[in-house]
Amino acid sequence: MRLSMRLFWLCMAVPMAILLLAQIYGADGHAIDLEQVLALPSLHHLMGFDALGRDLLARLAEGLQLSLFVGVCVIVCSALIGVSLGLCSAWLGGWVDALLMRIADIVLSFPGILLAIALAAMLGPRLDNLILALVAVGWVGFARLARVQVLSLKKAPFVQASIAAGSSSLYIAIRHLLPNITAPLLIEASFGLAAVILGEAGLSFLGIGVQPPDASLGTMIREGTRLMLLAPWLVVWPGVTLFMLVMAVNLLGDMLRDKLDVKKAADQ
Amino acid sequence: MIQSLILARVLQVIPTLFGVVTLVFFLLHLVPGDPVEALLGETAQMADREAMRQALHLDLPLWQQYTHYLGQLLRGDWGQSIVDGRDVLSLMLERLPTTAVLAIVSLLLAIILALPMGYIAAKHAGKKEDAMAMSFSLFGVSIPNFWLGPMLMLLFSVTLGWLPVSGMGTPAHLVLPAVTLGTALAAILSRMARSSWLEVMNSDALRTARAMGVSETSLWWRHGARLAAIPVMTMFALQLGSVLGGAVITETVFDWPGLGLLTIEAIQSRDYPLVQGCVLLIALFYVAANLLADLLGIILDPRQRRCD
Repeated sequence: MRLSMRLFWLCMAVPMAILLLAQIYGADGHAIDLEQVLALPSLHHLMGFDALGRDLLARLAEGLQLSLFVGVCVIVCSALIGVSLGLCSAWLGGWVDALLMRIADIVLSFPGILLAIALAAMLGPRLDNLILALVAVGWVGFARLARVQVLSLKKAPFVQASIAAGSSSLYIAIRHLLPNITAPLLIEASFGLAAVILGEAGLSFLGIGVQPPDASLGTMIREGTRLMLLAPWLVVWPGVTLFMLVMAVNLLGDMLRDKLDVKKAADQ
Repeated sequence: MIQSLILARVLQVIPTLFGVVTLVFFLLHLVPGDPVEALLGETAQMADREAMRQALHLDLPLWQQYTHYLGQLLRGDWGQSIVDGRDVLSLMLERLPTTAVLAIVSLLLAIILALPMGYIAAKHAGKKEDAMAMSFSLFGVSIPNFWLGPMLMLLFSVTLGWLPVSGMGTPAHLVLPAVTLGTALAAILSRMARSSWLEVMNSDALRTARAMGVSETSLWWRHGARLAAIPVMTMFALQLGSVLGGAVITETVFDWPGLGLLTIEAIQSRDYPLVQGCVLLIALFYVAANLLADLLGIILDPRQRRCD
């Protein structure tokens, strides 16, 4: 437990330092300075310049913010859609349940990344399409989780009592069901966040996500790979940043799971 | 009993396949505006547009397009590539062996790495060895493979000059792509191996065996390994499918001319029928792998044969 905490802060230090330093230096990630193309790091530009003469530190910070923005957006949307559908599915049962779970099965019949690639490629390379594609893949996990949890809660005495007392379904959902399924949902959300951040970067790497001149860690790795022999730092830094961020989020998920583990808590 | 269970599970695949085909069919209709315009550009001649529209059957009503698509698939006709007019299925089958080689080597590598690591972690649970193995696992699931690839190239091909940068031909060409693709698989498998081994070792059955004086080696290998292998093998079967999803990115990084690279090439040239074909084919493999995982569970583990 203590080890993962230390590792978490160690990983988190990299993205945090980049955001902080970029704020302090305040360089513009879109300003092109042709005299500085591929220039090495200096005191005023800590990480040097990319192939178009743009400040690498500023672009890293921009890419990082984009990763976090897309990640949080996708997870919040997926959770809202997934949990509502999962709740309805379990609560109503019958054909609603059958239909929703059949749709979930179909989405799960594709490797997640492949379906996101196909959707984003067909919709066209834009940020909103990227988010849409990732949500289309991401809601299923939340829906299935919420459904399973609510199915077991449905029989619990306090829920049955509430039904007998004449509470509306909406009241039961908000007052009784949701508060009791937050722990597993939080764990799902944190691992989902890591997957979404990797997904965004992967799609951008393939050229079907964020488009230049906007900075995404994925696009930066793609551009950096082409100039790997000339300027290896252009591919090293975005990758290190992405890697550390994803590792920190995964560690967060691990720690949450250990802390909130329902099974373990019941044993004690 | 077991035959009927297997049959029931196999029959379940039919509605799933139907859904998969339907989703792939609608992919083409996700293209904003007119797909024909997206393909030919705004300046295309009217006659060319009509020809393309007819080739893609976009002139028919939606339900007829759908039944037509289903009928074509049932006859084994996956459509024609827009770019060079070739049969989509034969284009894909040409690339399939290349991907199969990469996928099989990556999976073998993953299992060779993962099993000893899972064993060591379980045997020394909570100690330094466990922490190291689980750190590797965390590393493996967190590292983006489109970055791990270039980093390996930079180290082993550029700096040390031991291995070729990209392309294929010799076994040496296979090393870096297989390591890149296999790392995440190994990470997931080793975690699975550790947790299922630990769970089995703490089970009542094994506690009884220990109390009856079964030796520690026999306990781990004769009794423990057999039970622990079931979830690990199921996970491995699942990975037979998911490895193809990962291959899309890895093949792009290493210019490995397989099914994944074909998918990306098709996307870049807006060859929609080819994109549909590739997505469908990979999904078919994925569904088959899921089926295999479930069947393995039913066959290997009598406890899963209980009807709920």
